[in-house]
Amino acid sequence: MDSSLIADAETVVARARTGDPEALGALYKAFQVPVYNIARRICRTTEDAEDVLQETFFEVCRSIGRYREEGSLWGWIRTIAASKALMRIRRNKYRDTDELHDEVVGRRQEDSHLRMDLEAALERLSETSRAVVWLHDVEGYTHEEIATMMGKTPSFSKSQLARAHARLRQWLGEEVAA
Amino acid sequence: MTHLSMDTLLSLREPGTEPGVAAAHEHLNECSLCQAELHRLHQRVARLKALPTLRPSRDRWPETAARFRAERLRRRTRRVGFAGLAVAASVALAVTVVDRPQPVETNPNQINQAMERSQALESALSEYNPEARVLDGRTARIAQELEDRIALLDRQLEMTELSPKQARDQELLQLWRERVGLLDALVDVHATRASNAGL
Repeated sequence: MDSSLIADAETVVARARTGDPEALGALYKAFQVPVYNIARRICRTTEDAEDVLQETFFEVCRSIGRYREEGSLWGWIRTIAASKALMRIRRNKYRDTDELHDEVVGRRQEDSHLRMDLEAALERLSETSRAVVWLHDVEGYTHEEIATMMGKTPSFSKSQLARAHARLRQWLGEEVAA
Repeated sequence: MTHLSMDTLLSLREPGTEPGVAAAHEHLNECSLCQAELHRLHQRVARLKALPTLRPSRDRWPETAARFRAERLRRRTRRVGFAGLAVAASVALAVTVVDRPQPVETNPNQINQAMERSQALESALSEYNPEARVLDGRTARIAQELEDRIALLDRQLEMTELSPKQARDQELLQLWRERVGLLDALVDVHATRASNAGL
């Protein structure tokens, strides 16, 4: 995913910097789907993801003058989107459902045979774990970058990723090494 | 035999070397169970990357753009100052009285036309680059009042766009037309000023 999503990106960005509504609208059209995808993969609900989409592009409109073209346009927008999604999950303080799941699994024998598809398993992770999995494994952020965005340490990001993969492996019904 | 933990398996995928990675590689070379576990990890990540792209169910751009416009106008207005509202208010009132339409049957084309006219006027306005121009006191006051009213309208538009469709069309049309009237007046202010200054 890069700035090739938008034809003549340099001209569009130059016009967007002057506040040209058409150019800003073109940026939205070009990047709304990948931004929403990140937001939805991190946030619990579609409503939250849509709010993150709006917050992201509001920030893009306000800050496009500060975009220095040192990295790709998509990379710049993506970092705004990830930060907004992480802010949203911090604000929401949803119940940590995989902690709940652990308690349930501990008590219920039949859950040792539980099998889910990947979407359902991903959905079942806590928002923090899911955010780390998505940002690290899919979007390619390093633990250091994730830690900066989350206001945590790289060790926190690493341990979240390890816990998340252990749970995914269990929930997906993959064989566990003896 | 102690197999590799998930932490260690994940660290094998990271660039650079962490303490213990060499020993982990040594174990991995000899342990088929850990090789299988690492393979599963790679497969899981590949499957995550292959998940379908999720798409928004509705277009959030009109709300986003309205919010941005309102904020920009508020910022611009704050910069100009807050003196002499009386003269400006009288101008704005006259514009509002002239331009507020009587109730009519609304169709989407009318709203679109008003929006397009509004955009055209915004473009015309941006050509005067009003943020960079030095205005005399009276012109600044008039421009400020018009911008204040446009900012207020944008806020109303933002709220109206969120209301149920049936109730909002007539209101939207009125607001957009009022916006066009105010923008027209604002363009006139800057055009007159530019003409007087020989720009």
